[in-house]
Amino acid sequence: MSNTSAALAVQSVSDVPTAGEESYFTVFAGGEAFGLSVLHTQTIFRITSVTPIPLGPIDIVGLVNLRGKIVTAVSLRRRLGIPVDEFQNSLAIGIEHKGENFALIVDEVGDVLTLDASMKVQIPAHFDPARSRFMAGLYKVGNLLIPALNIGALFDFAN
Amino acid sequence: MDELLRDFLTETTEHIEGAETQLVHFERNPSDASLITSIFRLVHTIKGTSSFLGLERLERVGHAAESVMGMLRDGVPPTQHSVTLILAAIDRIKTIIEEIGAHGSEPPGDDAAIIDALEAYYAAGSEAAAAAASAEADTKPSVAAAPVVTAAPVVEAAPAHPVAAAPAPEPVAVSKEAPKSEASSAAQPKENRAQGGSTANQESIRVSVDTIERMMQLVSELVLSRNQLLELARHREDDSIKTPLQHLSTLTSDLQDAVMRARMQPVGRIYANLPRLVRELSTSLGKSIDLITEGADTELDRQLIEVIRDPLTHLIRNCADHGIERPEERLAKGKPERGEIRVSAAHEAGQITIDISDDGKGLDTERIKKKILSQGLTTEQDLRNMSNEEIYRFIFEPGFSTAQVVSNVSGRGVGMDVVRSNIEAIGGSVTLSSVEGKGSRFSLRIPLTLAIAPALIIEVAGQRFALPQTSVVEAVSLGKNYKDLIQDVQNALVLKLREEVIPAVELREVVGLGADAAKEESDKLAVVMRVGTDSFCIIVDSVADIQEIVVKPLSASLAHLKVFSGHTILGDGSVVLILDPAGIAGNLGIEKSTEKKRDQARDQSAAERRRLVMFRAGAGASKVLPLSLVSRIEMVETSRIESSDGRLMVLLQGRLMPIVPISPEIDMSKPSYPVLVVATENRSIGLMADEIVDILEEKLEIQLASANSELVGSAEIRGEAVELVDVSHFIRMADPPGKSSTAPQRILFAADDQLVRDMLCPAISAAGYNLVAVTIPADINELLNQMSSFDAVILDGDAPALSAPYFLRALKDRKDAARTPAIGLSRNPTNRSSRSATENGMIALLSKHDRHALLETLAYALDAAADAKAMSVELAA
Repeated sequence: MSNTSAALAVQSVSDVPTAGEESYFTVFAGGEAFGLSVLHTQTIFRITSVTPIPLGPIDIVGLVNLRGKIVTAVSLRRRLGIPVDEFQNSLAIGIEHKGENFALIVDEVGDVLTLDASMKVQIPAHFDPARSRFMAGLYKVGNLLIPALNIGALFDFAN
Repeated sequence: MDELLRDFLTETTEHIEGAETQLVHFERNPSDASLITSIFRLVHTIKGTSSFLGLERLERVGHAAESVMGMLRDGVPPTQHSVTLILAAIDRIKTIIEEIGAHGSEPPGDDAAIIDALEAYYAAGSEAAAAAASAEADTKPSVAAAPVVTAAPVVEAAPAHPVAAAPAPEPVAVSKEAPKSEASSAAQPKENRAQGGSTANQESIRVSVDTIERMMQLVSELVLSRNQLLELARHREDDSIKTPLQHLSTLTSDLQDAVMRARMQPVGRIYANLPRLVRELSTSLGKSIDLITEGADTELDRQLIEVIRDPLTHLIRNCADHGIERPEERLAKGKPERGEIRVSAAHEAGQITIDISDDGKGLDTERIKKKILSQGLTTEQDLRNMSNEEIYRFIFEPGFSTAQVVSNVSGRGVGMDVVRSNIEAIGGSVTLSSVEGKGSRFSLRIPLTLAIAPALIIEVAGQRFALPQTSVVEAVSLGKNYKDLIQDVQNALVLKLREEVIPAVELREVVGLGADAAKEESDKLAVVMRVGTDSFCIIVDSVADIQEIVVKPLSASLAHLKVFSGHTILGDGSVVLILDPAGIAGNLGIEKSTEKKRDQARDQSAAERRRLVMFRAGAGASKVLPLSLVSRIEMVETSRIESSDGRLMVLLQGRLMPIVPISPEIDMSKPSYPVLVVATENRSIGLMADEIVDILEEKLEIQLASANSELVGSAEIRGEAVELVDVSHFIRMADPPGKSSTAPQRILFAADDQLVRDMLCPAISAAGYNLVAVTIPADINELLNQMSSFDAVILDGDAPALSAPYFLRALKDRKDAARTPAIGLSRNPTNRSSRSATENGMIALLSKHDRHALLETLAYALDAAADAKAMSVELAA
């Protein structure tokens, strides 16, 4: 995974995105890299204890006390259907969405990438809809394909 | 300065800034009616409040401006002239307000010029609008009165008329000398503005509740960090940090206190509206009433002030309307002519009590009793045993009103229940006491703050939950008496506490948590709660603590979880979910049973006591049957009972009578059994019991609706839980098999979730079905093939194999779909998953926790399937 990070780091030359560009954190879940818009990100922290929510949606790991705020912790692995096997992840990204505070639990956070519209490629039709509904777009970075996460879909538990 | 005046100034100053801009916008876009409406509303409020506060200048200017703005609002196009006039009026209002801010009272001066100009414009406008009225428009006073009439629909309070109308003509009279004084008064405030500024702006700022909430959160965290630091310091030799730490500690506590206080406001804020309310009530009811308020400086949470405003108003209306007598009546009774309503607030043991009392005629207990009985709210026996306080409680029931004449003030029977539910919603209570002829008193007890509530921290299966103490009645340690206190009646738990039978449930089951192996039954506790008029109890592993919690609502993605009302952070920094007693009651189906209970009570009030046969049949609680259904009881020797075609018969008085054992446990091992002979239209059947216990005369009040068809429900007689047998069920069983099969219907239950199987299987079996529970086979086709040999199937919709598209398609395409209904179960059915299930050949997708719904649906589905089968047979023939 460190190789991937290095490769990605090369891409993030300019820190200040110009028009049409947007900065993304690379986050990892189950060995795969995803882009998470920095605009949504408030904080990155380690979760020390989680209160599970009985009867709650399965992808919601539980509630976490983040400096006096109660945030809803969502596992990116569970959301994407990646088995949560090897170890309990504790790295989370604080995100506010529609007035709710969420923590997205990921395996690892990598470098910041600058993606622009020209790097966007069509999401292939054969992608599993269970996965592709969480994607805001697919970007070609060097010879890697990085899906950008769709925050709205990730934290929509209405269905 | 008066608190109320200060509020008024702060608000008005803030709003009036925007009004100018809006007015100018409106001049440019006359089509945007919302602009003028909002300014109109503002000026209207200023006028109303000023009249209340005795600020005559503001009131008159506001009134004149309001008339003109009313015209604009009603569609007269704005002209430069009219807008200039209104702006001038707004300017005047502003200067007066600044003056009041600086000096605390209205400055001397005369606004006749502005008022004249506005009224002249209004008169002209009225002429144009109503040509017919032009003849009368000559005289100024009548024109000046006219706007009052136009404005009337907007004025909420009728008695405002005389106040508003009377001063209006005055400026007209002095209009000649107006310009001079007008100029001087306009100049005055300008000087003052520079030196004094406005106190309204300096002494208070408006802070959004969110900001304060955030401060509360941070302070709580700060307290937490301090506690951790103190803990660390305690184990250190080093004294140098102790002093600063002690200082920090004190500061933190003070800060916490200060932030809490920031949310508080004096009760006096609601008192402010009351004199006017009482004045209006006196006028419209033709009574003379004095209002006395006490404890105006009692502070409580801002939010609470808003919540209790309406209930308080309603209670005062009630006192004025129902309590206080007419002056002549009062004099005849030797009371002072003027009635008195007293509102007093005080701090009392961490709560606020607000008493609303009157010296009127008090409550007519007999009339209330009659009303209770006529509405069937309880039985006469119960009523006889009730104290007056308990009887008065019915006044808060929905639809209850004893007023013989419905007045426009109160007496429609709407309201008292709303009062109670509003007060209870914030964790408060309302009680009523009364002395006939002397008066009555409503007592509101409300918590100091909404944000902080005492809660029981309970533990179940290793997880902690908070339970708001306001709905907790008591916690009963089950200890060694578990078996005595908690009884399993037809797979529903009940707590037998003193004389009551209280529905009980394992919290573990409600929240879907597994059992904690380390916990013995004997260590558990039952927490009795009350929601509305219903009591129920939850069985928990332990009560860990009682804490003050800061209640935070659940976020949107979790709001659908009805059993939780919110979450909170405990003193140790951990997050816990707050249980919602009403949600748990709903989960238990208690709302439903309450309705039944009420119906039952209504039936019972006619029938009163019933003669009952109490008998034993099999293990478990004693059973009862109304004696009216039993024609006689016979001892039947086992040897005389013959088995024919799988059914038991006995020859009695020359006729064969079918015999049905009430419990399958009756095994014919005894030489004789008592048989209750029940006569139907054309024949008799015998119900066989183990032994007859007693015949007694008791009131039968069904306390629990039972899911089992053998029983109507369970009741409590002489402190013991008994089951009321459903005779019709046994009559069906005794029916010849030709009509409908007496063989139990076969149900297949496929689920991998052991807990769900353990929970539901007994209930299904107990309901008389022949149940086969299986784990989900690796090959789904195997399951599909099995289905056709059953009468119905129950599927675990959460199992991946059973929610897979392949399986659902196969389920939908079954040839025998009509004959073998399939019911899905889910831990958490959503609208979408339910729809998908029903579209894919399931009858319904039900919650795993709702076994009542499962049994109902199952019965319904089997009936429907039997009908379909009969239909297809007919078609084939």
